[in-house]
Order: sequence, then structure tokens, then C-alpha cells
Amino acid sequence: MPDVQQLMGEARRALAAPSRTPRTAVVVGRLLAIAFLLCFGTGLFSHYLQDPLPWMRFPTRPTFLYQWTQGIHITAGILCFPLLFAKLYAVFPELFQTPAIRSFPHFLERASIALFVAASLVQIVTGMLNTYQWYALFPFPFRQTHYALSFVIIGSLAIHIALKLPIISAHWTKRASATTVSAETGDAVSPAAASPAAAGVTGRIFAWIDRTPAAPPRASRRAFLTTVGVASAALVVTTAGQSFRVLDPTNIFAPRKAGIGPNGLPVNRTAAAAKVTETAVAPDWTLTVTNGETSRSFSRAALAALPQHQVDLPIACVEGWSQTASWRGPRLSDLLDTVGADTDARIRLTSLEQKSSYAVTEMGPEYARDALTLVALELAGQPLDIDHGYPARMIAPGRPGVMQTKWLSTLEVI
Amino acid sequence: MAAVTPPVVNPPGAPAPVGRSTRRIQQGLIGLGLVLLAIGAIVLVQDVAAKNYPGLLLWFAGALVLHDGILAPIVFGVSLMLRRAGKRIPFAVLLIVQGAVVVGAIATLLVFPEILKQGIGTGNATLLPLNYGAGLIGLYAVLAVLTAATVGVYLRLRPSQISVEQRSA
Repeated sequence: MPDVQQLMGEARRALAAPSRTPRTAVVVGRLLAIAFLLCFGTGLFSHYLQDPLPWMRFPTRPTFLYQWTQGIHITAGILCFPLLFAKLYAVFPELFQTPAIRSFPHFLERASIALFVAASLVQIVTGMLNTYQWYALFPFPFRQTHYALSFVIIGSLAIHIALKLPIISAHWTKRASATTVSAETGDAVSPAAASPAAAGVTGRIFAWIDRTPAAPPRASRRAFLTTVGVASAALVVTTAGQSFRVLDPTNIFAPRKAGIGPNGLPVNRTAAAAKVTETAVAPDWTLTVTNGETSRSFSRAALAALPQHQVDLPIACVEGWSQTASWRGPRLSDLLDTVGADTDARIRLTSLEQKSSYAVTEMGPEYARDALTLVALELAGQPLDIDHGYPARMIAPGRPGVMQTKWLSTLEVI
Repeated sequence: MAAVTPPVVNPPGAPAPVGRSTRRIQQGLIGLGLVLLAIGAIVLVQDVAAKNYPGLLLWFAGALVLHDGILAPIVFGVSLMLRRAGKRIPFAVLLIVQGAVVVGAIATLLVFPEILKQGIGTGNATLLPLNYGAGLIGLYAVLAVLTAATVGVYLRLRPSQISVEQRSA
């Protein structure tokens, strides 16, 4: 029987392929790093929109800002599937490097790569499952874990780039890569190259693999990169329509489809899930607006009697889908004036919804005093559907959908 | 074994000499990475209850086992079989077919959970509202047609090079 060391060496040699070179790893790795950084940046933006630090103020224009950042977040996340698989494919033989651990730094490096790969795979798979709202599959809370892992992944990425920097720079350009490869004489080894034959069954397997014709190098590398490109393009074309309307006609795989839903708009959380099917249609419903001692309650008819405004704003979900719609109702600013609120006041919004961490949220003055921010009563020329927040909901420019509070109950100046 | 140097990343043993500026960038990146890892660990400890850690660890281990232990060897086996077929079929044709299979497989990986979840039910008519199975079949059909067309064009345009490549293989 061959020893483990030799077996690993044989495996590594058998796995060698023209598309598994430092150059392909660098080419794909660059794209994957860009996708990771896009996801991280847009993810942080989305996180702080939902959990702002006290000093934070956010832009309310362009109104499609969040629609774009979160659309990019989800689309780049989907692109991580072909890119990550391609990257792992390119470096897979490294898994069998011998000796498996040369030194303590080498152990740390390999451990950090294991953490990097595992965290990346878990991140994109649970991210995808989250957009299908299939939470039962993983035994940890999505949002908090997704947030923590994002730092783990980008931290591991920085360390990975640092450790591989000599290889990355040696293969950054095609020309530099070719020079490096020709300098390293052993780099053109074909699988048929001589090696001490391992004995027994494994030896016969490796010998059989050795007799397999080698793939033509240039065509293989081209085919590899073309395949990654086609897979990426195919996923964008068939899913990004949920975020970017121009691709809606070819959206056949996204978990959401523009135009499908009550009032012609998708729904994230239904009235049934929020347990508001009775409270939202109660005849004595009012919206209470409070500023310290001053408090006023508005029935739906009273809200409809205020000056009405119509705005076209996107509803953009953290799950990536978005759709622009026409909303109608009184301005939040006008309502706040009825209780004498300061123009720089923060607002606490409370929903009728139950068992949700978004039932009570806060809104900064940049949104509260924006002329486009409405307490919407109508959507697409019809009364709000109960799944869209009847009797009244918030709609503000550039905010995540979970912060566009549905089934409004109270507004408080804080 | 020492005689064989596989064409893979990071030849073991001999790291290339690095200049001072490279060293400085490396140190900066490692420092940044450690800070971010620490933030990640703090966020995890603060926001995720300890009772969830075993499940998270299981997912981490499962991801590595599924990829490195199952998915990657399957891919290797399939590409090996295709390479063996290279004795009779032009390699470029095999590469085109292989590429189409990979594109179809990745799309399936993303769409299949949608079909399963749709079957379980979502309680929300606007979530997973499409016929994803039909979509997948449509994609396979488009891939098949495009693959056949690409192979056809290739065989028509480059007959001389095919025979050269076959002889050299």
C-alpha cells in the first residue's frame, strides 16, 4: 500500500488540468473579490439603513438608490455561485498538497483558507435560501449570522490576498503570467509524465488516469473561462429582472416577478403572517400621531381628507426584488405639522404587526421631512391591499422595504 | 515524488522572494484581515445565541465536505470520462459540451431549491410564483440548441485544426 503522502501527491498530480493554473485562479479570483466587495459594501449600507448609528444621515435621492444597491447585492451574490465554484475548481489540487502541514504558519494559512471557503459557501447558500424564505433549513438566525459572516469573509479575503500576493502579482497580466510559467520549468507537466508507480488498486487507478488523453491546454483554459462567463451571464439574465426592470422579460428563475401580487406588486410579509387580518380592518382603526403631550388621532377618512399627493417610488426589499409603483396619500410632513413637530425630529413608527423585529422602527428627519414621504392610502389607483399595509403604510424614498412600515398604528416624535 | 512539479498554485516549499513594499502591503492586509475577523467574532458572540453555534459549525463542516468530498470529485470524474472520450471525439467539441453541462448544473443548483420550497408551500402567493420546472427545461433546451449550433459551426469552420489537435492528443 502506498503511504498517505504519496497518495496525496498522486491525487494532486491526477487532478492537474490546464484550467487549473495560477493564472486562471487569479483571473477568476479578481472577479470573485469584486463580487464579494460589492456584496459587502451594499450589505453594510443596507445594514446601517436598518440599524443606523445615532449620527448617521442617509441620502434620499436618487429615489432608486436602495433599489440599486440591494439589487446589486443580490445579483452579485448570485454571481458568486459560478465564480466561487470556478475559483475552488482552479485551486482544488492544492487540497492534496504534501506535506499537508509544513509549519505552524502554514497550518494557520490552511486553517484560514478552510474558514474562508466554508464561510463563503455558507454565506451564499443561506443568502439564496433567505430569498426563498426557506429559513427552516438552517439552525441559526439569518440576518445576524449573515452580518457576522460578512466580516469573517472579507477579513479572510484580506489575509488570503496578503499571503498570495507574490503569486497574484506574478500572474496579474497574461504576459507576466507567461513569463513566470516559462521560468518555472516544471510547469508544463502533463498527466502522462513519469512518476514512481504506486502499487495496488490505487496505483492501478492512477495509472489508468495517466493513460487518459491530456486536454489541449489553450483550448481548455479558454473553455473554462468562457463557461464561467456564460454561466454568470445566464444567471443574471434569468434572475436580475426581479431587481432591474429591463431584464424582467427574461426573469424566469427569480423568486419574485414584477407585476405579480395584489395591486400588481409583490409582497414580502403577508397580513396573515403578520397576524393583522382582524386589527387592520377594524372599523375603529386610527393612526395616532404624538409629539410629547400633543396627540391627534386620524381615522382613514380623516387621512383621506388631508391634502393628497401622488408619488412614484420603488418598494425595494432586502431580498433584492423591487418594483416602482404609484402611491397616494397625505405627506408625513403635513401630519407631523398637525402636532407641531420640529423639522429635525426623529419619528418612531409602530405597526399593528405581531412577532416582528420591524414592528417598531425609527425614521430620521431626512426621510420624515422629505416631500416624497407619504402615509400611503392608495397604491396603483386602488385602495391599499391588506397585504400591502391597509389601512395606511409608510412609503419613503431610498429605504429598505422592511422599513416602509405597513399597517401603521402610531407615529411618535422622539 | 520530488521529480514531479504539478502545474498548480503555490508550489510548496519555496516562496518567491518578496520586496519591502510587497511585504508592507502584506502586513497591512493581514492586519486589516485580523481586525475584520475580530469584528466578525464579536458580532457573532453578541448577536447570535450560543445555542446556535453547533448548527453553524455543522453547516461549515457540511459545506466543506459537500464541496471538497462530493461535488469536486464528481466534477473530476465527469471531466475524466470526457477526456477519455477525447480519443474518438474532437476535444473542442467535448469542451463545448462540458461547458453547457456546467452552466445547466449551476442553474439547477439555484433553481432546484425553489421548486422544492414551492412544493412545501410559502404562504405567500407572490413568493416563488413562477413555474420553475418549466423554466429549467426551457433553459436545458436553449443550452442544447446553442451547444449543437456551436459544435456545428466549429466542425464546419475548423476541420483542419481538429485533425491536428487529435493527432497531437
